[in-house]
Amino acid sequence: MEVTMALFITKRLLMALATVLVVAVLAFLLVHAMPGSPGAVSLGAGASQQAIDEVNQRMGWNDPLPAQFFTWLGSAVQGDLGVSLIDGRSVSADLASRLPVTASLAAGATVLSAVLGIGLGVTAAVRGGVVDRIIGGVAGMAVALPAFWIGIIFVYLLAVQSSVFPATGYVPFESSPQDWALSLALPVITLAVGGGAFIARQTRASMLEALQQEHIRTLRATATPTWKILYVHALRYASLPIVAGIALQFIQLFGGSVIAEQLFAMPGLGQAVQNSVSTHDAPSVQGVVVIATVVVVAVNLVLELATKFLDPKLRAS
Amino acid sequence: MIPNVAPAPADQAQPTTAADLRKTRRQGAPKKFTGSKLFGSFGSIAGVAWLAVLVAASLTAPLWLPFKTEDQDFTAVLSGPTAAHWLGTDELGRDLLSRIFASAAGTLGTSIITVIVAVGLGTLLAMLAAAAGERVENAVSRVTEIMMSLPGTVIILAVIGAVGTNIPMIMGILGVLISAGIYRVMLGQAKSLQSQLYVDAAKVDGVSTAGISLRHVLPGLTNTIVVQAALIFAVGMLIQAGLAFIGFGPPIPQPSWGGMIQGASQHVYDAPWMMVPTGAGLALTVLSANAIGNALGKAPNATASHLPSAAARRQRAKAVATIASAAPAPVTQDGVAKGTLSVRNLSVGVDSTGAGSGVRLVTDVSFDVEQGTVLGLVGESGCGKTMTALSLLGLLPSGVSVTGGQILWNGRNLAATTDKAMETVRGRDIALISQEPMRALDPMFTVGYQLTATIRRLRGMGKAEAREEARNLLEKVGIVDAARILKTYPHQISGGMAQRVAIALALAGQPKLLVADEPTTALDVTVQAEILSLLRSLVTDTGMSVVMVTHDLGVVADICDQVAVMYAGQVVENGRTDSILDNPRHPYTLALLAADPHANHANDMPERLATIQGQVPQPKDWPTGCRFAARCQFAGSACLEPVPLLPSGAGEGLVRCVKADQLAVEGMDWLATDVPAARALEITPTQNPRSLQTIVEKDLA
Amino acid sequence: MSTAVTERRDSTPPSDATPMLEVKDLVVRYGRGRKAAAAPAAVDHVSFSIAPGETVGLVGESGSGKSTIGKAILGLQKVSGGTITYQGKDITSAGAAERRALGGELRAVFQDPNSSLNPRNTIGTSLAEPLRLRGLSAAEARAKAEDMLERVGLPRDAVDRYPSQFSGGQRQRISVARALICDPQLVVCDEAVSALDLSTQAQVLNLLADLRDERGLSYLFIAHDIAVVQFLAQRVVVLYRGQVMESGPAAAVTENPRHPFTQALVAASPVPRPAEQAARREARESLGVRTGAAAVPAPGGCPFRLRCPLATDLCATERPALRRVGTADVACHYA
Repeated sequence: MEVTMALFITKRLLMALATVLVVAVLAFLLVHAMPGSPGAVSLGAGASQQAIDEVNQRMGWNDPLPAQFFTWLGSAVQGDLGVSLIDGRSVSADLASRLPVTASLAAGATVLSAVLGIGLGVTAAVRGGVVDRIIGGVAGMAVALPAFWIGIIFVYLLAVQSSVFPATGYVPFESSPQDWALSLALPVITLAVGGGAFIARQTRASMLEALQQEHIRTLRATATPTWKILYVHALRYASLPIVAGIALQFIQLFGGSVIAEQLFAMPGLGQAVQNSVSTHDAPSVQGVVVIATVVVVAVNLVLELATKFLDPKLRAS
Repeated sequence: MIPNVAPAPADQAQPTTAADLRKTRRQGAPKKFTGSKLFGSFGSIAGVAWLAVLVAASLTAPLWLPFKTEDQDFTAVLSGPTAAHWLGTDELGRDLLSRIFASAAGTLGTSIITVIVAVGLGTLLAMLAAAAGERVENAVSRVTEIMMSLPGTVIILAVIGAVGTNIPMIMGILGVLISAGIYRVMLGQAKSLQSQLYVDAAKVDGVSTAGISLRHVLPGLTNTIVVQAALIFAVGMLIQAGLAFIGFGPPIPQPSWGGMIQGASQHVYDAPWMMVPTGAGLALTVLSANAIGNALGKAPNATASHLPSAAARRQRAKAVATIASAAPAPVTQDGVAKGTLSVRNLSVGVDSTGAGSGVRLVTDVSFDVEQGTVLGLVGESGCGKTMTALSLLGLLPSGVSVTGGQILWNGRNLAATTDKAMETVRGRDIALISQEPMRALDPMFTVGYQLTATIRRLRGMGKAEAREEARNLLEKVGIVDAARILKTYPHQISGGMAQRVAIALALAGQPKLLVADEPTTALDVTVQAEILSLLRSLVTDTGMSVVMVTHDLGVVADICDQVAVMYAGQVVENGRTDSILDNPRHPYTLALLAADPHANHANDMPERLATIQGQVPQPKDWPTGCRFAARCQFAGSACLEPVPLLPSGAGEGLVRCVKADQLAVEGMDWLATDVPAARALEITPTQNPRSLQTIVEKDLA
Repeated sequence: MSTAVTERRDSTPPSDATPMLEVKDLVVRYGRGRKAAAAPAAVDHVSFSIAPGETVGLVGESGSGKSTIGKAILGLQKVSGGTITYQGKDITSAGAAERRALGGELRAVFQDPNSSLNPRNTIGTSLAEPLRLRGLSAAEARAKAEDMLERVGLPRDAVDRYPSQFSGGQRQRISVARALICDPQLVVCDEAVSALDLSTQAQVLNLLADLRDERGLSYLFIAHDIAVVQFLAQRVVVLYRGQVMESGPAAAVTENPRHPFTQALVAASPVPRPAEQAARREARESLGVRTGAAAVPAPGGCPFRLRCPLATDLCATERPALRRVGTADVACHYA
């Protein structure tokens, strides 16, 4: 079993590596399809064709594509993602400063979504009746409302009207943990509305399915207390799809933080990609795509290991 | 920002054993796309109406809109709703109503591109993978796995960087990304359709793979396709609005919903009203699409829960209280010995709320089970055997409950006992084993955990002691390597072994009565014999009694002391097993025995078996008279009246047949009728096969 | 294994005719790769034949490979070794086109009446499908479908109805009608009555017997229930873990089984007569067959040896060949 586990992890790691590589190629090609050469972009309008050509030559823009890709890949594996065409700063350094913002946003929103979602989903499934219908209705609304709209409402209610939280901006954890938490509060709550609703629906459906299993009847026939049937046996059975839902949620929030970052003026990865796409800053775009993919793939890997651990059938085989 | 396409709940696994089939047989037609579903709920009707109005209004916008989208009214900048501007204006004094409706068609239209690409590609890939076998499936699944683990939004933004804000193209690429999720949803269903026996039949005919996919698989996917299309439509709209919100929408003067919300967000301090109309428009549209999808995707009849919700339990508790007050529990069980289960006039019915409300499933059933004896409840499917058995433990599925009668056990009426109070009876006094041992055990916990937890709970033992007792129990049910089995999970052991474990679990609380619901039906015949031997020795050793539900007359002959034959929710005959099987008094028992090939040896096997025309009527079609009359060779006009259960004259047996005495005297046999006679078959199972007229005529003749 | 002549029923065919179907050394392995190759085969060198007009019963427990054999014959399962010959033609790996050419003669009735008819098609469409493949016009196919429905005891207007409007037993009759609509010679019935209740099971069994007598059909009747097989079959092949244990005339195999497994199988099948069943039970218990629960024997030798009361060292090393004992062929060193 030890051996098969090691084999499984190796296989998955290779698969993850392949995914990242595929995305790297894809990003590289996309970036090359962007209008404007690096020279044109970095020198801005009004630069002479000769100056542009010179910059392009220096950056290897005229080399064959595969050569360019491998040069980029070679530096990338050493942690160097090139320099921004706009301000000449190191892309790696820029992204390194942005990653914690997006990560805390996504992680915070995922945790809050999970707590809200599991709580409400289980309650809906267990209580039934009116409670179930109310939670179902609210979750249905929350899934349909766009996050950016919810965000504005929260800004209006909690920042403009009652200034409980700061409306925009981000305070790094190192400078002040308390302000860090406060600055994250609104974006996290905003993202957790839709996320919590999604997880609540998933949880409710999984719990109901679990309660339809015949072994629940066996548990009742052996006088198992209701709380134990619900929270030990049924929840355990339902845990697999719920965990998968939470992981998907994280991936979605991580990739989808663009809107929250724009709305709350957070200097995260989403803002970086938005800016660099607008300014045709090729190395930055490429860098964000690859970093985001690495994170998402890593989360998927963790999910798969968690699933394997949770499901006795998979664990044994 | 790329929302997950939530996988629809997996389709129920295909039944594999004969036993499964027997249980699932009566399920209705499979999911079909029907208009009635679309108009079945308020939400989806409202959704369809809103979308229709929106599209119509948007397409005809130039004809009726009061303002052009670019008209600026500097007298009313950032205004709230006024007579001139019903929904207010934006920072340039442009009319919001006009802008919302004028831009709707474009938003909806481009979202449909995503729908077509995502659902089309996903379905196509799923059908291909399902048809072409494991290798292709693995390859396609790998690719879609990679696609699903991409940060969708970032990729879409990178695409925008490359191709600019070409909305139709971006929505198409979004569709490609989402198609991986659709594939996941569709694959299971396509595979399940591919594994249907009618597909096998078509293959035997020589229908090509493509022909099978088109003729048998695609039609089965239509409902899911429509449901997913509605959901993806909503997703597409949200994403498109989101892109416009962050500045990647249509070029500037052109209005878009996301762009308008973005504009509103700039004025949240000075003109908060602005975000209401646009946000509401978008939310309503998304809600509409979701409502339509949910209405279409709703499973018509969900499987009953084995643990009803708190709300349902409260309702049931109320019903129990009514029964208790209607028939006060007897203080003394007049003449009933301790340890005897005595069921009196038990009725079970569908609850008054929901579908099929008020239908009776079991009516007026009475029987006794004395200590140390085995009672068989025998009959065909749909006769109410299992419902009767489950009511003994108060474990009827949700939506079904005891509607009358008494279940007397040790001075208590279990029919009028609350669920909470039943917990002191279940496991300790009355235990249950069921048909599918594999499904009766919790797949997430080891055999050892399940056994020891149960022993500790029911016997109040410590951990070590319980562990020891678990081993003893496993050995008692004939498991040789108990120590190893304790460490296994249910899926790691065979069906016969699992049934032994289930029996050990049932014995954990040292019950006095074991309710066994078709415990050997799903097992091989040699394993069945072993389990029956085990049960017999347990009865002898522990003195417990057993209620054995079965459709197999051979099992009855093997293990039962007493037998109650059930037909259409009633006991039609009961008494000692030998007297009933060797000398049946009720025509139904007679007919069952004549139809059973096990009753014959190779040398006396008849050319044709006896048959009973028609089938067991559905509960809602039970007549007031004899429920078997319509299928009975001996029926006459007297059979149209309700028939009481009367002493049969054989021992202490009872029989529910007005002609029982006459048949006994004349020594009539159930004749083997020829099958091809078209009269023997009626077209729908619900129709009464023979009119009362013919019954009466036959009687007169 | 030659075609055995049985004394039962007047429809017994001449034994010297070319067999309707001949299965020779059939091997089926599931999965791919080294692991699959090392595992015991699902079907392990099985041979039998069916004469024209003969019904052969294939009996075994779950995992015996009986349904796999049926699937292999119908082209629904890839064969790993051996040959399947239908009326002298090798159909071991016939493709869709070849199947179409002979599909009219070799047909199937499956277990589950719920899933053997497409619920979205009318009965008429389902019945017409094989006919239309063979170039019949829609009108001809419909007329034929109506005739066939009438023959199996259903009204002619059933062609326009959907499967959900029929009960399980009726659907199984429709499946029989679909199998017989292009006048086949051989019908594979895979657990065709297992999902039915006693009374409907008897109806379908009688129908199958009627049609056989009327049209001189051959059946391969696959079932786990030896009593059901005994009703319909003239010859019985008993399988255990993919191997033939015993085969011979139905009466001999079911009344006087020679192989210890067949003995266990027959003795375990309960009869609905309490006194007789008590005697059978005692006889069964005295056989000394061990429980099958933990017994997964290594490949090679007799697959039944771990449960067999007669087993010796020889049984672990040498797979017993089928040999004639009385009127049956038995794969046991000690039978």
